[in-house]
Amino acid sequence: MMRVTVGSSNYAALTGLQSNASRLAALQAQLSSGDQITKPSDDPAGTVRALQLRADVKQNTQYASSASDAIAWMSTSDAAYSQVVTLAQQARTLAVQGLNSGASTGTSASAIADQIDAIKTSMVSLANTTYNGRPVFGGTTAGDAAYQLNADGSVSYIGDGVDPGTGAADPAFGGVVNRTVGSQNTVQINQVGTQVFGDEGSATNMFAVLNDISANLRSGNYTALSGDLGKMDTAIEQVSGAQATEGAAYQRVQIAQSVQASNKLSLQTELSGIQDIDLADMAVKVSTAQVSYQASLQTTASIQQMSLLNFLN
Amino acid sequence: MSTFSGIQQAATSLAASQYGLQVVSQNIANASTPGYTRQSVDLASVDPVGGVPRRYTVGGGPGGVTVTGTSRLNDAVIDARARTEHSRSALADTTAAQLSQIEDIFPEPSDTGLAEQLSTFWSDWAKVANDPTSAAPRTVLLQDGATVASTLNSMSRSLSDVGAAAAQSLGNDLDEANTAASSLAALNTQIRLAHNTGVSDNSLLDQRDVLLDKLSQLVGGVATINADGTATVKVGTDASGAGGVTYVDGTTDTAQTLSDDPTSGYAISALDPSTGTTTAITLSGGSAAGSFTTLTSTLPGVQNQLDAVATALATAVNGAQANGYDVAGNAGTDMFSVPTSTGPGSIAAGIQVVMTDPNLVAASGLQQLDGSGNPIPNKDGSNALGASQLGTASGSADNVYASLIGAVAASSKLAQQGQATQDAVTSSVDALRQSASGVNLDEEVTNMLTLQHAYQASSRVLSTMNDLLDTLINHTGVG
Repeated sequence: MMRVTVGSSNYAALTGLQSNASRLAALQAQLSSGDQITKPSDDPAGTVRALQLRADVKQNTQYASSASDAIAWMSTSDAAYSQVVTLAQQARTLAVQGLNSGASTGTSASAIADQIDAIKTSMVSLANTTYNGRPVFGGTTAGDAAYQLNADGSVSYIGDGVDPGTGAADPAFGGVVNRTVGSQNTVQINQVGTQVFGDEGSATNMFAVLNDISANLRSGNYTALSGDLGKMDTAIEQVSGAQATEGAAYQRVQIAQSVQASNKLSLQTELSGIQDIDLADMAVKVSTAQVSYQASLQTTASIQQMSLLNFLN
Repeated sequence: MSTFSGIQQAATSLAASQYGLQVVSQNIANASTPGYTRQSVDLASVDPVGGVPRRYTVGGGPGGVTVTGTSRLNDAVIDARARTEHSRSALADTTAAQLSQIEDIFPEPSDTGLAEQLSTFWSDWAKVANDPTSAAPRTVLLQDGATVASTLNSMSRSLSDVGAAAAQSLGNDLDEANTAASSLAALNTQIRLAHNTGVSDNSLLDQRDVLLDKLSQLVGGVATINADGTATVKVGTDASGAGGVTYVDGTTDTAQTLSDDPTSGYAISALDPSTGTTTAITLSGGSAAGSFTTLTSTLPGVQNQLDAVATALATAVNGAQANGYDVAGNAGTDMFSVPTSTGPGSIAAGIQVVMTDPNLVAASGLQQLDGSGNPIPNKDGSNALGASQLGTASGSADNVYASLIGAVAASSKLAQQGQATQDAVTSSVDALRQSASGVNLDEEVTNMLTLQHAYQASSRVLSTMNDLLDTLINHTGVG
């Protein structure tokens, strides 16, 4: 039989009390912080996973903010596209009007030409539409405009992303504005000016066509003017094409946004499962620990009082 | 048979009971003295003296009782086992405590930890990419970079502090062990003297056991008890992995001195004062061994990993900077500077943001030149966008840090589990030891009652003898 001694019973009581107290303290730490993992060693694998999930949540938040920025940018440019098309159609109508009234006086033709010039000026200002201080059609230019209206009435592209040799857009010259809206999902949200208004120096460049129409109206060159209508159609198609390209990009960003929203939910659910406590479960554990601590305190107190001396007289 | 032998006999009985009560009293007095081993009286009945001519002992009765000594009721096997387990316990406790100090430096997962700071830093790059020439996101990027750097600095400093504390406790443990060793050497002399002169050496043996416990807890000393009660203690293993040195020699009453050398990786050696020779040893148990392992392997491992985090961060960001162009269109320059390593933790301690002008952040991935070949600015953000993805690349600072956290957490958890298991084993051995050599008050009280009754009975025997003699002397042959 094992002898029970003063030392051994005290020691056993103390060990029991301490282990109960430390269990209660650990539960209290979890409960008061609301965290299941109060230090990495509570759950090494969970900690590493939580770090990964937290980084993913952060990344997701960044994707969401880039996506909102992309949507805002593209909404600005989309409004510009629609107005450009409207103006271009007005110009075409005016050109047709000029053709039809070809026999009439040169005064009315020059009045139409003036309107065309006014449309061109509006068109230039639309081409210089800015978002957050940046011309949306200017590529990555550091300047604040994409096109400039020269003194001679011609309009030239002053943004970047265009090969000066060919006058056509070329990513080798920059001009690409990208937003990363998801993992491996980078969307180009802009169209360089020449992709919208036509290559520099090309006959179907929107501004060149407008200038051409205006000049032909003034000079009464109706043959050329009727040819301009075809060019104008090409120019309008170009604008619509660019708008469609950007519309597709818009859609990609929107899809990315809904993916982000569902990702966010699943990431946070998983993260919460790893690092947050289950309150109901915790309450049960705490009360169990409390009861056993109380019981051990009570038994220790009552047993320690017992001695043979109490029963001798 | 002597007429008075009955009185003598009763007297020995009274003396024995009295002595027994003294031992009970001693046991009760020391019920809670650390290291006290309960004692019991050794009694022997006394027969008529042998070798005495028969005529003197014809009809000779028993000679009473004699106290032959006081036994120390310990169990040497359990004592040895308790020392071994306490040595392991001290090692496990120290290791767990120091790992937990290291772990506390990395409060993850949290909203303020380094992992979160790194994520924020990479996110800042994406914000710069979205608005490349604006000053605000660039300034925030640099500030968050500086926050990451200073967190790495302070983590490295805290790790050094843990190291300094461990070195301090290693030194203290060795000093304390040396003191205990020389006390034991002195005690050995006294024990031998007491043993040779036949004086009770029980309290000396209690003191010896306390010192042996201390030595096993501090430096994992393994004791051998010699026949005369002296103890020989060996510590550690030598370079060959076996043997170790005789720390305290029970036969010569000498003790060696243990010391560590912080300048050469805390190497521990034992100095024999009589010969002046030093032996390099590896401690195999005790708290000193725990501190030694922390200092020489655990801590440098974590520090090197933290250095790897700093290096990965600086290499990735400076590499990205080198591929890009700043606001003015000039090639990017380094954002972080890291010192050349001068030991574990030195890189993390010295990493800093050297870029002061936010305009130098190389957001653009494209250099445009004007007609005369001078760079012109643009609002390209592709390089910054690329940099924002660096955190998820393999071998990124984030990944290295996550594996550091994983490693620290796993070893801390392992140490805690080891500690819990060892605690259970040590407690059970302690309970066994207490059970063998501790004082049970009920038992002592019972013994006391027995002895009291024995004393009373002996007194009654004495007074009966007295009555008999009185009858014989005073009431016979008187007219």
